[in-house]
Amino acid sequence: MVRYQEGDFAAATVLVRHISPRLHRFFLAKSMSRSDADDLLQETWLRIHKVRHTYRHGEPALPWFYAIARHIRVDHYRKSLRVAAGERELEEMSKGAAVAPPQAGELEALLAPLSESQREVLAMLKVEGMSLEEVARAMSSSVGAVKQKVHRAYKKLRDTIGAAHREIDGTEDSA
Amino acid sequence: MKNRAKNEEIDDVLKRAALAPEDIDPIMLARIDESIKASLRPVRPLPPVWLMATGLVLVCAVISFVGGARAGFFGVAKMNLAERWLVFPALGLLACFAAVSFVHQMIPASRLRFSPGTLLAFSSVALLAVFADLFRDYHIDHFFSAGIVCLLVGLLHAVPAGLLSWLTLRRGFAVNPASAGLVAGMLGGLAGVGVLELHCPNFQAAHILVWHTAVVPLSAALGALLGFGLRPRTWSDER
Repeated sequence: MVRYQEGDFAAATVLVRHISPRLHRFFLAKSMSRSDADDLLQETWLRIHKVRHTYRHGEPALPWFYAIARHIRVDHYRKSLRVAAGERELEEMSKGAAVAPPQAGELEALLAPLSESQREVLAMLKVEGMSLEEVARAMSSSVGAVKQKVHRAYKKLRDTIGAAHREIDGTEDSA
Repeated sequence: MKNRAKNEEIDDVLKRAALAPEDIDPIMLARIDESIKASLRPVRPLPPVWLMATGLVLVCAVISFVGGARAGFFGVAKMNLAERWLVFPALGLLACFAAVSFVHQMIPASRLRFSPGTLLAFSSVALLAVFADLFRDYHIDHFFSAGIVCLLVGLLHAVPAGLLSWLTLRRGFAVNPASAGLVAGMLGGLAGVGVLELHCPNFQAAHILVWHTAVVPLSAALGALLGFGLRPRTWSDER
């Protein structure tokens, strides 16, 4: 990162190759289409490039990348809300966000019942392997708040899985 | 037992997702490389946090002093030694907290010790406590007419202080502009209270507790609104 700040193109290329898959997966974990995730990834890199001087030597780099990616995603989400005309359409959109699209993968399907921030926390903590401290930095939040979000997300997922199991058992019994 | 089994089920899915390779279009990566290469030059990292925070506190101190000098130092002249030694250091300390918090808001992924809302609540309560302890004149004369003048004077100095603070940190990047605006407004508000304490000779408790203290939350709210409204345009807007 320091070499990137010093204008080393090779270092920038290594960063792009190393960080892009993580950021792409982070965007996809929000039940976002692949083309949207591609667009946001490019937009994120443009922003990263523009504000690369704000990275501070010695600080963890990963939360810095995710904080910017998160900012871009939130901005994108707000814009999509502005574009959607009428309250009814907004309602349909939020319903759509809560249910995974039919072609969604295992991860997207699992995270579908969660809120945006809960999905974000689980994606960073469990999929990207970041520490609680790093996730807190990326989300401009405290470690305690992150822990609470994880706890609530797991509770919600356990409830959803429990309900799904009960439904399957009920179907098998009636058959 | 059941919960543990479900947690394991959840963890399994998350682990599989972590291990799955993420395929990204190499053409897109090449495009990102090219866009970076086109404008890649060395950049100067931001100065240390303490230096930026000191700059912000100085900006606020100068605005308070100039505002007080223009309006007249009637308030500080009427204060006794204990009042002077409690009011101004308290304002300075709160301004330091706000300045450090504002600097952290302008650096992505900074470690935040307090949320901006907590800091605003703490600052307002601390000011109320200091004023309540020092000013014990419980008469109420011209509560609204005198109060609104003080509120306006405070806000009129808070706005330039907040804007100059923002200008001082213009090289930073706020991932949450509303929060950054709130802290900048709070810092400006403290500068506004500084002007009022230097100038206002009305030591009635109700006047100071309500109208002087109100400058801080009002200015913070104004800053948060401005920050939210002035969110930077992103690339897709510019396309």
